[in-house]
Amino acid sequence: MWKARYIYLLLLPFFLWMFVFQYGPLYGVQLAFKKYSAKLGIWGSEWIGLGNFERIFITPAAVRAIRNTFFISIGRILLEFPLPIVLAILIDAMRGKRLKKIYQTIFTFPHFLSWVVVGAIIKNFLASNGAINVLLISLGLDKVDFLTNTPVFVAMLFATANWKTMGWSAIIYMAAIAGIDPELYDAAKVDGASRWRQIWHVTLPCIRSTIAIMFILAIGGIMNAGFDQIFNLRNGVVSKAVDILDTYIYDITFEAVPNYGFSTAVGIFKSAINFILLLIANTTVGKLTGEKLYS
Amino acid sequence: MKKKRWDSVEIVSFISLTLLAIVIVVPFWNAVVISFETLSAYVKAPFSWLPGEFTWENYASLTKQSGGLLRAYANTIWITVVGTVLGMAVMVTTAYAFSRQFPLKKPLFMIMLFTMYFNGGLVPTYLLVKNMGLLDTHTAVILLSLASTYNVIVMKNGFSSIPTELPEAARIDGANDLEIFWKVMLPLQKPMLATFTLFTAVGFWNNWYWPMLILNSKDKVVLQMFLRSLIQIAAQMANEVGTSLASELTYAKGIQMAAVFLVMLPIMMVYPFLQKYFVKGVLVGGVKM
Repeated sequence: MWKARYIYLLLLPFFLWMFVFQYGPLYGVQLAFKKYSAKLGIWGSEWIGLGNFERIFITPAAVRAIRNTFFISIGRILLEFPLPIVLAILIDAMRGKRLKKIYQTIFTFPHFLSWVVVGAIIKNFLASNGAINVLLISLGLDKVDFLTNTPVFVAMLFATANWKTMGWSAIIYMAAIAGIDPELYDAAKVDGASRWRQIWHVTLPCIRSTIAIMFILAIGGIMNAGFDQIFNLRNGVVSKAVDILDTYIYDITFEAVPNYGFSTAVGIFKSAINFILLLIANTTVGKLTGEKLYS
Repeated sequence: MKKKRWDSVEIVSFISLTLLAIVIVVPFWNAVVISFETLSAYVKAPFSWLPGEFTWENYASLTKQSGGLLRAYANTIWITVVGTVLGMAVMVTTAYAFSRQFPLKKPLFMIMLFTMYFNGGLVPTYLLVKNMGLLDTHTAVILLSLASTYNVIVMKNGFSSIPTELPEAARIDGANDLEIFWKVMLPLQKPMLATFTLFTAVGFWNNWYWPMLILNSKDKVVLQMFLRSLIQIAAQMANEVGTSLASELTYAKGIQMAAVFLVMLPIMMVYPFLQKYFVKGVLVGGVKM
């Protein structure tokens, strides 16, 4: 160990930070089993067993947040997970190196902006008197209330999330496609396969493992249904349909009379399910494809 | 020689990607145009390819407010610079250390990995900051988002990809671990370090959640908070004068979009440098843990 002393020295700053700011909050996790009182502090507050957790299931807003979280996340897996794969294949198939580069620059850019900025741009664009509605009216169509009509708003969440991140998510698949042995395509051509068939029989099977890994990550993130986006786009009219666990935790933590014990319990409930989902997804995909995130 | 004709895959990809590019660019263009036009021109035509009536007024009124945009800019730059330097320092040293072999490596790595999958959540973290007396400080904003385990792991893979002969040769020449790190390993991974420095900086620049929760003095405000509150005030004002919720955002639209552009501008400026390394495999390492 003395031989490795410099290694430990290099690890020290990060581990100090991690123990304070990542593990430190775990001390407060006990609040989930307590009735928090500011006067008594975290340690002194009274233990109440699983009361806070039981309360989750009898609080309508909490149950709704759980349901919305699952609904929106599953929607994201169906509508947001596949598009970057398609995008990567299309970019790969396009002619012209310069144009490819320009397009890629455009597709990736929104990823580097916060949802505060993107939210402002989208709200401006989709407002009832915004650009899209001006276009719809000039085409003789009816206005669409993208921001205040609940089903349209939910669809808009999926669309704008794709708008912001699909270019970025495609990069990982593009790297995988770039790594495919060109001889496989040559062999397919010799067998008379069209470009479409090559995509189906060469490209997709070759990036299968990357897709599997990204799928594990998506499943593991089911409990995070996109706080930043929803928080910056929601309004009172649609909130019942789009308030997810994270926005719910925020709302009950910063309301007039917060119950910190209950907030913490909802947070722990969320993390615990997330953790379990990740383990299940990891073993399932591992069995199917032989690819695992960690073994 | 005649060029080969485009096949159906190329045609489909060209058309769909062109449409997608337009769909991505137009909302940005719309916002920028609005920021440069007068309110009356905006009301007349919410969408135009060029400003209906050009003006700098929206930008001027943003900089005039005391304690407003300029203060937020200064604070954000400060947090970004300090946060990036400190964050990179702790992440790079850790990444390098984990690319070496040493006793207790595995358990220490697991301790780090755990933080990626489980954390105390909002209230415990908030109370920790409060109990440390760090509420309403930039220090807390920097420390809460200082390092990312994910970045550490990707950079660790970057260091691991360097052939072991290089550090071994340096060791035979009598260099210790610190010297190998500083003189051999860091210079070999300059592109990777540049990329992650930019990623970290962008992360601090875009940071809005914890600043919103922790900072409440007016002079501590950061850009993202500034923009958020500008949008919220506009929504409230519109509600008070009785416009419908749907059209709430008309109020001071030009000023809002000017703020959007100014918050976005630095990202647009570093973006070409960021993009240079995208597909170079720097990020691929992260998936192959």
